Amino acid sequence: MTDATVQTPSQGASGKVRNQSKHIRTWGDWLALVFLIIGALVMLFPLLILAMNAFKTIGDYNANGPLTLPDHPTMEGIASFWKSSNFPLKFVNSFVIALVVAILGVTLSVLNSFALGIGRVKGNRWIILLIMLANMMPQEALLYPLYTMFKQVGIYNSQLSIIVIFTVIQSAYGTYLLSAVYGTFPQAILEAATIDGASRWETLLKVVLPISWPTISVLFVFFFVWTWNEYMIPMAFLMDDNVQTIPLALSALQGQHTIDATQLASASLLSIIPTIIFFIVFQRKLNQGIVAGAVK
Amino acid sequence: MKIKGMVAALAITAMSISTLAACGSGDNQSQEKPETLSVWTYESPTSAQYHAWKKAAEEFTKETGIKTKFETKSFTQIAQNSSQFLDSDQAPDVMESNRGNGSAGMLSSMGLLSDLGPYVKKYGWDKKVTQADSSMARYDDKGIMDGNTWYGLPSYAEFQRVYYNKDMFAKYGVEIPTTMDEFEQACQKFKDAGVTPIDADAGEYGVLWLWWQLVSTKADKQFMADWQMYKHDVNWKSEPLTYATNTINEWLEKGYISRNATGLKAEDTNSSFIKGDYPMYQTGTWNQSRFISQVKTFDWEAHILPGSKLAQGCTGNLMVIPEKSKHKDYAAQLLDKIISDGIQKGIAEEGGIPVSSKVKTSSNEKNQAMIEEYASFSKKDALSYYPDYPAANLTDAIPAALQELVNGTKNPDQVLSSIKDAYTSGVKDMDVKN
Repeated sequence: MTDATVQTPSQGASGKVRNQSKHIRTWGDWLALVFLIIGALVMLFPLLILAMNAFKTIGDYNANGPLTLPDHPTMEGIASFWKSSNFPLKFVNSFVIALVVAILGVTLSVLNSFALGIGRVKGNRWIILLIMLANMMPQEALLYPLYTMFKQVGIYNSQLSIIVIFTVIQSAYGTYLLSAVYGTFPQAILEAATIDGASRWETLLKVVLPISWPTISVLFVFFFVWTWNEYMIPMAFLMDDNVQTIPLALSALQGQHTIDATQLASASLLSIIPTIIFFIVFQRKLNQGIVAGAVK
Repeated sequence: MKIKGMVAALAITAMSISTLAACGSGDNQSQEKPETLSVWTYESPTSAQYHAWKKAAEEFTKETGIKTKFETKSFTQIAQNSSQFLDSDQAPDVMESNRGNGSAGMLSSMGLLSDLGPYVKKYGWDKKVTQADSSMARYDDKGIMDGNTWYGLPSYAEFQRVYYNKDMFAKYGVEIPTTMDEFEQACQKFKDAGVTPIDADAGEYGVLWLWWQLVSTKADKQFMADWQMYKHDVNWKSEPLTYATNTINEWLEKGYISRNATGLKAEDTNSSFIKGDYPMYQTGTWNQSRFISQVKTFDWEAHILPGSKLAQGCTGNLMVIPEKSKHKDYAAQLLDKIISDGIQKGIAEEGGIPVSSKVKTSSNEKNQAMIEEYASFSKKDALSYYPDYPAANLTDAIPAALQELVNGTKNPDQVLSSIKDAYTSGVKDMDVKN
């Protein structure tokens, strides 16, 4: 994940280089292209299998196995999961949790890192290490203490509990990453801002934020998708049907000894569509934001 | 200012959520008539028992005017997190619980389940359910099954049978076996004809069930009491264990069971039996209704593995009333509906095994045969349950050990000794041994 974030600026740079040397592709380029295509196919293969089985009837699946195209494509699996799980409600739960976590997580990360990376608070390295503990600890170890705390406060079995947990966990990662980025922030720009009479608040909003926007946007998308897919902690804290998220609705399809493969496939397909849409929509929006910032 | 506002908003959200959840009359036990009872289950909504529960709930609503709210949870969620939510004020009124010392037994010993004693007396459940069938519903104060206190109500039973693809038997000129020798001869004939005879998975529990069923052909009740109820130390050199482990190994070497079984899961073996790829498949009776509705291309019949002294299985998952339920009397009334003759008959018709001894028939002859076969064992108290009941770690440890046998990376002695280690440490952790 760290790689991807760090690559964002470097990708831009290599793009420029490629533009200068147009139409000249070396053997190495072709080889890389072939590997990339193979890689993409390998990555897409499970999705393809999922899509094929999502529209199959169970009879068809029993007779022909998972690797064939559906004989009589049917929407039945999707429709029945939509109804039985009350999908719209689960969707709203997942969406609200993931979105709020992404917003709060990013905000917290930026504020933390501004203090740690640019503010250079004393002992910042140790503070970062302390914050990272939230991420380093196995989630299993967190369950019981959190359960006791949330029960006391009265938010066990509510979306708020998940929002609190993941805002902290995600922002720990965000703080670690962003404070490293801010640690290398050009001092000259900061000094210029101070000379211009900018307060710290203005420095953050008008100088630091626009420049680090690419990293922040990537963090935002990651936080959203990670939280969306979280399974273990929501499973421990969300018991009621009214508060459960999509991954939990999916797991309810799997019985103790029985599993309806085609229905599971259609449900899984249905559950990843929102994240893909989110990714596509926001990635573009955020990229526009980056470009706009760069022009200024 | 802004931060204060946010904190206030968070606090208000938290409070409104918690007050919503906490409505109800506190400790005023069962007196007030509730509007709805909440019921949490993890059974597949297409199963016979789930239909039965729903039907019982309808009758209950008609009689009392109290609605029921069924919520389907995942098996893992109930298995892993029930001790947490049963201890909160979010506990449901009725819950499906896995039976055995590691699940319902553990919950009962933690004081999370209601003692159903008064209701058993009131409704006469002990007269409807045989001693053997209620053994999984009764626990002692350490949470060991077959105790004296009822903590749950069984509503159906299940056991392991071998399903035979009759068309394949006819095609290769093999008789359906009635003794262990004939069974092995049949396997050999199929093998000679180039067909792998036994459909089994080692990715989940298939080989484990086969292994325990082989144990059940040699074991007596004393062995089972030692294994399941910790009466004496298990004799690891005894015939049931060595015979079963060696036989599985032999079947693997002869190719009766494919070594590819390690990569298979229950759903793979289910669908390949339905497809008609294998002549024999030992599986739980929870698959019977699925086979009835989904096997289209061949005729089948099923019997317990030839030569079995004990049937592997028992009553299915229990319906329990959490200690924190605020409407126990009504919940018990709902449970009594589940065990009523009409509902039990419905289970029999749909391919499940009823536990009420008053219901013995099904109009489907395959179901009828299954019910009779189960009754013949349950009447004699000849059930071997499942091998992983003594300790929670065995559910993973035994399949893992047997997987090494299937892989060929361990010999039978080594496999038995790793099961022994897991059993010994697991039982020690349970802290139940007298």
